[in-house]
Amino acid sequence: MPPRLRLRPEHLRTRIPQQRPSHQQCRYASLATATTPAPPIEQTIHSSPLIARYPPTQPPSYKPPEFRKSQLHRQYASLLRSSPLMLLFQHNNLRSVEWVGIRRELAAALRKVDESLAADGRPDYFGDGVKLQIIQKGIFPSALKVVEFYHPEQQPQAPVHHPTDPATATSATIPDTLAASDDTRLTHGLSRTAHEVAEANRRNKKLKHGLEPLLSGPLVLVTFPTVSPRHLKAVFEILAPNKEFPAPKRKANPGYHEPAVQSGLQKLMMLGARVEGKVFDMEGARWVGSIEGGLDGLRAQLVAMLQGVGAGITNTLESAGKSLYFTMEGRRSILEDEQKAQAGEAPKEG
Amino acid sequence: MITKFITSVSTTFSPFNARSGKTARSFLALLPPNARQNMKIDVKMLPRAAPSTSSNSAKPEPAAVLLLGFKDGKQMSLDLEKLKIKDVQEEVDRHSRLLGRQEELTGN
Repeated sequence: MPPRLRLRPEHLRTRIPQQRPSHQQCRYASLATATTPAPPIEQTIHSSPLIARYPPTQPPSYKPPEFRKSQLHRQYASLLRSSPLMLLFQHNNLRSVEWVGIRRELAAALRKVDESLAADGRPDYFGDGVKLQIIQKGIFPSALKVVEFYHPEQQPQAPVHHPTDPATATSATIPDTLAASDDTRLTHGLSRTAHEVAEANRRNKKLKHGLEPLLSGPLVLVTFPTVSPRHLKAVFEILAPNKEFPAPKRKANPGYHEPAVQSGLQKLMMLGARVEGKVFDMEGARWVGSIEGGLDGLRAQLVAMLQGVGAGITNTLESAGKSLYFTMEGRRSILEDEQKAQAGEAPKEG
Repeated sequence: MITKFITSVSTTFSPFNARSGKTARSFLALLPPNARQNMKIDVKMLPRAAPSTSSNSAKPEPAAVLLLGFKDGKQMSLDLEKLKIKDVQEEVDRHSRLLGRQEELTGN
């Protein structure tokens, strides 16, 4: 039987210490004499700045951050802050094939809008930024409250003893920067202060954001990164067609008229929209979609209207002066005529 | 909820009404995915009513109603202003159970 420990015979020999080369010895000696450098003068005057014990992108959260709820809350808050235009739909038991078909048709329609915008030479094509997303109705209202009612930049800053300031000769304890969620200096959406604001709002019935009656049942959001009536129009034509926004014809888009897509669209109900923080119903949302040319078009309309008003005002003001002028002129001519007549009569009498 | 015996659903509601709109939407969400092949569904949504002030109090919001038709021809009209979704379910189930029992007895 071979030995279990496989040792080569040279390993079994006792090792004889060898004489080290002389140049290595010299190097050791030079290292031994080296001194540590003196600390910089700043370090001896000021205390070292505090180090946050968490990454700057992950401040400690009030609720456990590993829960899916917390992450969804954060995601919804960021979605609400980054999308000025969103449509709210109810979906009644759609099948996955129907979802696939609807998403495909929506993406195709938005791509077409983007292509036409690019052909016009306009840079605002962002059709791939329009997202169709099913939301959890428990988390979304809370995130909406945080976004609507929690404004940390308006709250007064907590007084901070800056330890690096040499003027503060104090031995007071410095608030610790460990990952403690009850630190009042944390102002992100998952912080304790944000949570308390949302909770207080739940108890306060007067403060409303307007979407409360819609936030129940199975909901899906269509979010837009900017307010673009052209993209909105394309979305309406696919998801909620009516007379104003006709659905694509069967010849132009046969995929849209597949039974899976059509049966899915019948089960989607448009409830409302949120545009720049304001709540619109279906009619209001359709009105936003019907604005020709988007914001630029609205500005052009406003300018034209203001120009018209200006012309009207100058006409009105001028007319007062003109009428006065004509009256005075008329009166002057009458008086002159009378004077002439009198002058004509006087010599005859005299 | 037993939706097997419903043949037609027709409803008019305003989604911005916190009470009736919610009930109507919950009812529509309870219908099965193939509901539109088996029953006639007609949903009409009203726009948001203006906040009730003294000036437009003369024009009240139209009442939210839910009209159901069953296989035996029974028409059921439910007032969504008063009933909640649990009450609607109860009403529908009471008649559907009856129809189910009849079907069992006739052996179909």
